[in-house]
Amino acid sequence: MMDPVDTLLAMVLLSVLISFGSSRLPALIKVIAFQGVAVSIVPLFMGHEMTWGGIVFTLATLMIRGIGIPVYLSRAIKKVAIHREVEPVVGYHASLLAGLVLIVAAIYVSPKFNLPVGKGYILLLPSAITLIVAGMFLLMARRNAIAMVLGYIMMENGIYLVGTTFSMRAQHIVEFGILLDVLAGVMIMAIILQNIKKTFNDVNTTLLRTLKE
Amino acid sequence: MQPFFLSLLIISCGGILPLFLWRRPLLMRGAGATLIAAGSLLGLVDAARQLYAPVAVTATVDLLNTVPITFTSDSLSAFFLVAIFAVSGLTAVYSFHYMDKSDHAVRTAVHYLFFSLLIAAMALVVTADDMIAFLLCWEIMSLSSFFLVVYSYEKEQNRRAAFLYAVFSQVGAMFILAAFGVMYACTESFAFAGASGMPAAIKLLVFILAMVGFGSKAGLFPLHIWLPQAHPAAPSHISALMSGVMIKTGIYGIIRLYAILEWHAPVLGQIVLAAGLVSGVMGVIYALGQKDLKKVLAFSSVENVGIILIGMGVGMIGVSAGKPIMAVLGFAGGLLHVLNHALFKSLLFMGAGMVLHRTGTGVIDHLGGLIKRMPITGTTFLIGALAIPGLPPFNGFVSEFLIYIGAFNGIALGKTNFVLSLLAIVGMALIGGLALAAFTRVFGIVFQGEPRSPSAQAIEQGPTMLLPMIVAAAACVVIGVFPTAFLTMAIQAVEPLQLGYGRIPLTPFIQITATITRAAVVLFAVFLILLALRKLLYSGKTVTRSGTWGCGFTQPSARMQYTGSSYAASILAFFKPLVPIEEDHPPVIGRFPVKTHYQSRTRDIAEHQMDRLIVKPVLFLFDKLRWLQHGDIHLYIGYILLAIVVALFFV
Repeated sequence: MMDPVDTLLAMVLLSVLISFGSSRLPALIKVIAFQGVAVSIVPLFMGHEMTWGGIVFTLATLMIRGIGIPVYLSRAIKKVAIHREVEPVVGYHASLLAGLVLIVAAIYVSPKFNLPVGKGYILLLPSAITLIVAGMFLLMARRNAIAMVLGYIMMENGIYLVGTTFSMRAQHIVEFGILLDVLAGVMIMAIILQNIKKTFNDVNTTLLRTLKE
Repeated sequence: MQPFFLSLLIISCGGILPLFLWRRPLLMRGAGATLIAAGSLLGLVDAARQLYAPVAVTATVDLLNTVPITFTSDSLSAFFLVAIFAVSGLTAVYSFHYMDKSDHAVRTAVHYLFFSLLIAAMALVVTADDMIAFLLCWEIMSLSSFFLVVYSYEKEQNRRAAFLYAVFSQVGAMFILAAFGVMYACTESFAFAGASGMPAAIKLLVFILAMVGFGSKAGLFPLHIWLPQAHPAAPSHISALMSGVMIKTGIYGIIRLYAILEWHAPVLGQIVLAAGLVSGVMGVIYALGQKDLKKVLAFSSVENVGIILIGMGVGMIGVSAGKPIMAVLGFAGGLLHVLNHALFKSLLFMGAGMVLHRTGTGVIDHLGGLIKRMPITGTTFLIGALAIPGLPPFNGFVSEFLIYIGAFNGIALGKTNFVLSLLAIVGMALIGGLALAAFTRVFGIVFQGEPRSPSAQAIEQGPTMLLPMIVAAAACVVIGVFPTAFLTMAIQAVEPLQLGYGRIPLTPFIQITATITRAAVVLFAVFLILLALRKLLYSGKTVTRSGTWGCGFTQPSARMQYTGSSYAASILAFFKPLVPIEEDHPPVIGRFPVKTHYQSRTRDIAEHQMDRLIVKPVLFLFDKLRWLQHGDIHLYIGYILLAIVVALFFV
């Protein structure tokens, strides 16, 4: 029987590949929601001393990541009637290949960081790095603004994974700080999205180029 | 230091209270001016008391419970505090009527806030005892003065001036930060105290970096460009405060650094003396060529900073050569000139402010004959204009004379020091002569003759504007006629440099100074008696009056008078390599010449070269990098990723 943490992390890595290959926004949102749930329950299996407070915090994280943000984004899509396609800059197959290369590279690179992170969990640091870089990749390789917001959330998931290895108290302070940022960020982006939509009648971010001086 | 902090508290109240009173402008200005003046008076009394009974007092403030910052007031700080609080009090009183025209009540209230902040920051800069405290107060000082300069932001010219000032003060602060950084790297402490143990090469580096940084604040010659732009932009009492004392914080920085480095190599004196000579001579030549009243005064500040640095340089050379008398005279002369210049320059700026306020123009060639309608402004301005070139019996003479004696003491020294002392004497003489020309020009054109434009028909008004001018002029005379007490103060202020000479017999020098001023007073008295005699003898006889410069013409017009340009033209022609003049004058040809005109403009050589050597290449480089800003959000994110990767793997 595998360790539950590594199982979860393997699923997270797979979700990265799925997200790279999915072309429709609703599907992508679901993948990210799943990823958020998986990432936020990782601390429950890590053998930390679980206090009631800790469990409440973890559940709150789960609610925001797994339900709050995805629902909010789905509603945003409906409200501004956005194209359901993610409009890739890099094609889906190329993206998938890049994802695979990325995972391999992350596993190769992670021991070199020499962090006191994830002792005993081989996949923890590689998946964290993968999530961060994959989030960046989505930000760069998708024109649709919602897809870019999702990339940003994926990056944040990666940062959260690094945070799980800290001691429980510090972790919650850090995590709630980050979550607050993300929530604010997502809301601001949703507002900006509406404005972009109003101005350009589309949320294709390449149109922003026309704003250049 | 309780009274000191109390006075700062009162001054800050004078800044904060107007914010709540802006609906009632009269009350607002009254509260601001009164509180700031009262706080300054308290600070002045406290600082003066400390100069007579010198004890160094220290106070430590914990900043956010993490960085303890320390303030110490010794006699050097106290001397600068005297100058700061004296000018602050005068300008605060002056502001009451000066700000009456403005219908922007909120803006005036904000102006009082930054005014009080600037005063408090300056007072804290000269008492700061560690790097954090110093830099913190320095930045507050730079920022608050920036907001004061940008007061009339509607004019594009003023915004540009303020921006230029911001650039210079920030670049200067960067240099100071670099100097402190080097010091911290060597001593691993934020305190100034340990800096004397550093190796000589490091000390030289620190001194040169700091010299550039402090020089840009003090208005040293190639770094003075902001002065003639910022002073006309700012309200006049702010110009008075900035030119009178704020630029002196740069001087303070240099002399304090000299004290904490405790390094008496000849090279320091040579650097300071050379910088002072260049600044003094160039400043006064440019002052001659200006058309704007406030620009003349700004360049004259450049010149006076030069004189102060000459004094410091003479002092430093005296220290390195082991001549105590030369050292003490040089430093004391330089320091006394700090106080003197603070007084007469703020007096002149306040006078210029009155002219500007009443006539609405600062262009010299549009004014004229103002002394007839502005007797008090004219007389006090005359006293300032006579004090600034160093004529007895006014205060400028006392300090410059001390520097002269100090330099004459250096002539007996060896080769390099002989040359430098000689240069100091010749330079000071040149500066004095040219300054006299510059100020007779200003006074002659603005206050004498006939009005050159209808706007020059204004009369003086506002008792709170006249009172500070009278007080400042009186102070100039008092220091000139009774120099002993003030000389003692200046010599007291040299004490913290720890030259360790003990008591030096300075009484003979003070005696000489006093005697010369007495003689000048006698001369003045004779002049006054003659004037009274004339009045007596002519009483009852008819005296016909006609226009000035009438010269027997039947139809004299105001345009026949000397102009500022024509008065300075012959001197400027001599200095042409240093002051490029652009002239526009179609020649008069033939028997029936067509209409002609004359227009001249002096170009600032430092500004031109700095534009050519620094601004243009930087702009060119960044123009070439324009493509980086392409507007594509995806590539921007790519930049971020690249930065992270580089940071992770290579740093």
